[in-house]
Amino acid sequence: MIAYLQNIAVLFCVNGILALTLNFIMGYAGIYSLAHTIFFGIGAYTAAYLALNVTDSLPISMLAAFSLSAVVSMALALPALRVRGEYFVAASLGLQVIGVTIFAEWKSVTGGLGGMIGIPRPKLFGYVFNDDTAFLILSVVVLLAVLGILSLLVRGSFGRSLMAIRDSESAAQAYGKHVNAVKTLSVAISSGLAAIAGVLYTFYMSFINVEGFTLETSILLMAMVIIGGTGTLLGPVAGAALLMTLPAALTYLPFLPPGELGAIQQIVYGAAMVLLMIFRPGGLVGGRSKEKSA
Amino acid sequence: MLIVQLIFNGLQTGALYALIAAGFSLIFGMTRIFHAAHGATFTIAGYAFFEMYSVAHLGWPIAALTAIAAAAIFGMMLDRWVYAIIQRHEGSFFTVFAASFGVAIVVQNLIAMAFGRGLVTISTPLSKSIELAPGLFVAPMLAIVLVCAVICFALLQYLLTRTNLGIALRALGENPTLIEVYGLTPRKISQFAFLIGSILVVPAAILTATTSGLNPSMSHHVMLISLAATIVGGVGSLRGAALAGMLLGMAENLCLAVIDPQWSEAVTFVILFLFILFRPGGVYGRAIAT
Repeated sequence: MIAYLQNIAVLFCVNGILALTLNFIMGYAGIYSLAHTIFFGIGAYTAAYLALNVTDSLPISMLAAFSLSAVVSMALALPALRVRGEYFVAASLGLQVIGVTIFAEWKSVTGGLGGMIGIPRPKLFGYVFNDDTAFLILSVVVLLAVLGILSLLVRGSFGRSLMAIRDSESAAQAYGKHVNAVKTLSVAISSGLAAIAGVLYTFYMSFINVEGFTLETSILLMAMVIIGGTGTLLGPVAGAALLMTLPAALTYLPFLPPGELGAIQQIVYGAAMVLLMIFRPGGLVGGRSKEKSA
Repeated sequence: MLIVQLIFNGLQTGALYALIAAGFSLIFGMTRIFHAAHGATFTIAGYAFFEMYSVAHLGWPIAALTAIAAAAIFGMMLDRWVYAIIQRHEGSFFTVFAASFGVAIVVQNLIAMAFGRGLVTISTPLSKSIELAPGLFVAPMLAIVLVCAVICFALLQYLLTRTNLGIALRALGENPTLIEVYGLTPRKISQFAFLIGSILVVPAAILTATTSGLNPSMSHHVMLISLAATIVGGVGSLRGAALAGMLLGMAENLCLAVIDPQWSEAVTFVILFLFILFRPGGVYGRAIAT
C-alpha cells in the first residue's frame, strides 16, 4: 500500500512539473502548445541515452536534458512568433505528431517502438537513488524547485512582460517590451523544465517507450492545466493531483467493470473539460472568466 | 510501375482527405469555431453505418441515412448546447477548443466501450483490388471515392455561390456582426454550417470504413488531417481544402518512393508546419494578421 502511494506520489510530481511548465506558456504567455509532451520525451530519452551509454550522474542528465530541450523548443518558438490562436495550435499539433514519429522510428537512439529498458537509478555526488523513498524526496524537491523558479519568474518583471504580451502584443511592444525575446525565452524555459520532468520519469520507471509521449499525454496535460485553472500558480498542481487520483479513486468503486476503467476515467475528464469550459472557464482555482480572449 | 501505383494510392488517400476536410473547413471557415470534435462526428457516422449495414443488415441506403442523421444530430447538438453557450459569455477560441476536445474524448471512449477498441471493417466486393496492368493494383473503390469527392465539392460550391444560405454562410465567415445589420441571425446560420459540415463527413466515414477500416481512436487523426488540409488550403476556402487534401494525400503516398512507410504520416505534418511558418494564409487564403 505504501509502495503504491509512493508510486502515485512520484508520478504526481512528474505530472505536476509538466502541468506547471505548460501553464507557464499557456496561462501566462498565451502560447497554447499541444506539443508539451515532446519536450517531456526529449528529457526522458536524453536521460535514458546518457544513462545507458555515458553516465548515470543526475546533474549531468538534467543539464543535458534541459539544454537539448531548450534548443529543440525553438521549433515551437518559431511559429509562436509568427502566428497566434488556432494557427499556433495547429503548428504545435503538427510538431507533436512529427516528434512522436521520430521517437518511434529513430531506432538507433530511441530504441524504436520497443523503447529503452534497464535504465539504472541516477547518482548524485556518489549517492545512488536506489531507495524509492529517497527518489520520492528527490521528486518533491525538484517539483518545489520548479514551482519556486516559475513563481519567481511570474512575479518578477519577466512575468509582467509575459502577461502584457498575452493580453495585448502590440501594446506590450509599444511599451518597449522585446516581444520576440520574451516569448522565445519563455518557451525555452518551459520546455527545458519539462525535460527535467522527463529525466525524473526515466530514472524512476527505468523503462521508457513512445507510449508515454503521445498526443494523448499532451491532451491530458492540457486538461490538468485547464481543469486546475490557467494562469494561476497552484491551479495546474491541483489539476494534476485531481487527474492523478481519479483513476485510483475509480478503482474503489465496486460497480464499475474493471476492464473499462481506463475508458471511464477518460470520459470523466473529457466531460469535466466540457462542463468547466461552459460554467467556469477560469478553472477550479482561477477566478470566474478572467481569461482574456485571444 | 511503383510510381504509378503510388499515384493511384495517392489519388484515393487525397480524395478521402479532401472529403474529410470539407466539413471541418466549412465549419471552421464560416463560424470560426475550432471544431476539434469533427473527428468524433466522423467516428459516430462511421460506426452508425457499420452497425446498420454489417450488424443489422439493413442495406446501404438505410445505413447511410442513419449515418447522416447521427452526424447531423451530433453536430447540431454540439453547436447548440456547447459552443453557443460558451460563446454567449466568453469568446476565447481556446475555451471552445478545449470543450470540443473534451467532447471528442468522451465520444471516443463511449464508442470504444460499445464497439471495442479493435479495427472494424466493412467488406464489400468493391474494395477488392483488380490488377489493371502487371504490378498495378486498383480497387473499384477508388472510382467511387473520386466520384463522391467531385459530387460533394460540386454541390458545396453550388450551395456556397448560388443560394441565399450559401451567401449568408460566407458572410458569416467574413463579418459576423455586419450580417446582423442585414437582419440575419448568426446563431441560426451557424446551426446550418454545423448541419452541412457534419453531413459532409458521412461519405468520408463510410468510404474509410470500407477501404481501411474504423477504430475509435481515429477521431484524433481525422481531426489532425482536416485541420492540416484546412490550413494548408487556406481557412475559408473550400476549393483550397479540396486541393490541400489531395496534395497531402499525394505527398503521403509519393514520399514512399524515397523513404520508409512509417515516416509517411510525418510528411503531412511537416508540410503543415512549413505552411504555417512561411505561408500561414494557405494556398488560397486571405492574408492573416499575425
